[in-house]
Amino acid sequence: MNAVFYTAEVLPWAEDLGDTPWPLLPVANRPLLDYWLETCAELGIGQVQVILGEGAGQVEEFAGTGSRWGVEILYSFARASEQPLDYLKATSDRWSDGLLFVGGAFFLRRRQAYKPAGFKSLDACTHLSGDRTLFLFGKTGDEVKGLLDGRLESGRGLEQIHIHPYTIDGIPAYFGLNMKLVAGEFARYLTAGFSDANSSSVGYNVLTPPSAHLRPPLIIGNDCSFGSMTTIGPKVVVADHVIVDSHTRLSNCLILQDTYIGQNLEIENKIISGNRLVSATDGTAIEIDDSWLVARNRPEMRTEDLVRYTILWFLALGVGIVQVVPFCILYPLVHLTRIGSYHREIFHDPRTGFVKLPVFQKIENRKSVVYRLFRAATLDRFPWLLLALRGRLFVCGQPPMRHPDDDEIIKQLPQYYPAVFSYADYSRDSDRLVDSLWYAHIRSLFEDVKILVKSLLYRFFRAGRR
Amino acid sequence: MVVSCSKEQGIGIIQVSHTLTAATVDTFREQLAGWQAAEPDVKNFVVDLKHVDFMDSAGLGTLIAVLKQITERGGDLKIACLQKKPRMVFEITRAYKVFEIYDTVDEALNFFD
Repeated sequence: MNAVFYTAEVLPWAEDLGDTPWPLLPVANRPLLDYWLETCAELGIGQVQVILGEGAGQVEEFAGTGSRWGVEILYSFARASEQPLDYLKATSDRWSDGLLFVGGAFFLRRRQAYKPAGFKSLDACTHLSGDRTLFLFGKTGDEVKGLLDGRLESGRGLEQIHIHPYTIDGIPAYFGLNMKLVAGEFARYLTAGFSDANSSSVGYNVLTPPSAHLRPPLIIGNDCSFGSMTTIGPKVVVADHVIVDSHTRLSNCLILQDTYIGQNLEIENKIISGNRLVSATDGTAIEIDDSWLVARNRPEMRTEDLVRYTILWFLALGVGIVQVVPFCILYPLVHLTRIGSYHREIFHDPRTGFVKLPVFQKIENRKSVVYRLFRAATLDRFPWLLLALRGRLFVCGQPPMRHPDDDEIIKQLPQYYPAVFSYADYSRDSDRLVDSLWYAHIRSLFEDVKILVKSLLYRFFRAGRR
Repeated sequence: MVVSCSKEQGIGIIQVSHTLTAATVDTFREQLAGWQAAEPDVKNFVVDLKHVDFMDSAGLGTLIAVLKQITERGGDLKIACLQKKPRMVFEITRAYKVFEIYDTVDEALNFFD
């Protein structure tokens, strides 16, 4: 039998929980994909194909070759023109030994009577969510073909073998699943760390002072630290690398990894992921830049980023110092002769959502030596350079994206680095989306310096010719 | 302007028009203190947070400081129109136990009666 896991679906609700791709979102401290692979191992499935989308690198890094589960994992990318079922139909000859397909955020929730051997008696079946097939199972090639072509009716489904087909269709469902598992169901799956009879599981390297109260049921991951007089539980899932400061109470909540929770707080019915606070009941999410409350305890900026930021800041300072006098002389002339001026436009901002930036616009299309000088010295970007020195923009990166014109591009960018200079400044055939994706992929100090130098030189030699 | 103040039935209505964070609390305090100085007879206040969609610990700390100052003068401060996102900050910090929170300004005014 083979298995196919389709992880390319875009789930907007999962984005509120941080940068973790949804197949790796933890359910009782184990990634969702881990449960699917555990099922494959129990069924003796030899080959698993994972169809990748957003977060492909992280998914591949987690699952690797599949040797941890005793399976062989093959990876492929989803094609935008093809639905998962179209792919399965097109390659139906490959499923002659049967197929287990999972096509979205779907959890095989084991009931108490479940036994892995039950899959042998499971009739061919599908589970749908709207018009999407989330689960498909057939033991033979004919069954799989029949289900794909619609010739074969789905059987009773997973309930036949005491599995609840649980669709994770939003934050409340995701939270609810975690709470169900922490309430005792987690023992039906493989668990790490120390477990005891009263529904609690505690990972490795967990520091709990004598005054901290641990109230089961609870699940605590590895490398966690709890302050004095904290109360953890009941019904709490704490992921790896979490720090809870003193006098704080956690109950009925889910704390995702790399989170710091400040002193004297009361967390109930919430999901906390780094500095994101998410309501478990309606999915409302806020990002709090306040380390007295909640914070991400893994530094956002790596040493490499810090070095790049520092070097580019000083380069930008140098350019700014060179530009300040020419700007003070030439801009009043450009403005007074009505050749061009600045106006504010709304751009997307990675931190605040939207930001107004001054954009230089030529008013009259006539030849002017002053304007050529202004452009040649890249003085039109001087205000942006000042914003970069204040940390509001990157010096080199992707072009700032306008709202609402570039909303579609923003949706497709996994990382957004709005900057003063970008490929578009010196590449005439620049495509904003492709360039932005490429930049996010190869971002480095060398690339940034290259963009800066090429942009300044190109603008200097080409000024007024475009 | 972070704060716009008005008086209704002898009660000060403080309408906050921005996020209440470390970046705006100083302005909030100054503008509120200025209005309080101009209207010394007003003892009770309602803080209208209809337009506040985010608040951090500095914002919350300032509200608590203002509450303390007002209660020391024999008055009271109530919160109205608390939005969903700041409400979560009130929940996790247990600030909902410190303040009396009402859905509307009118409801808060009625409770002063």
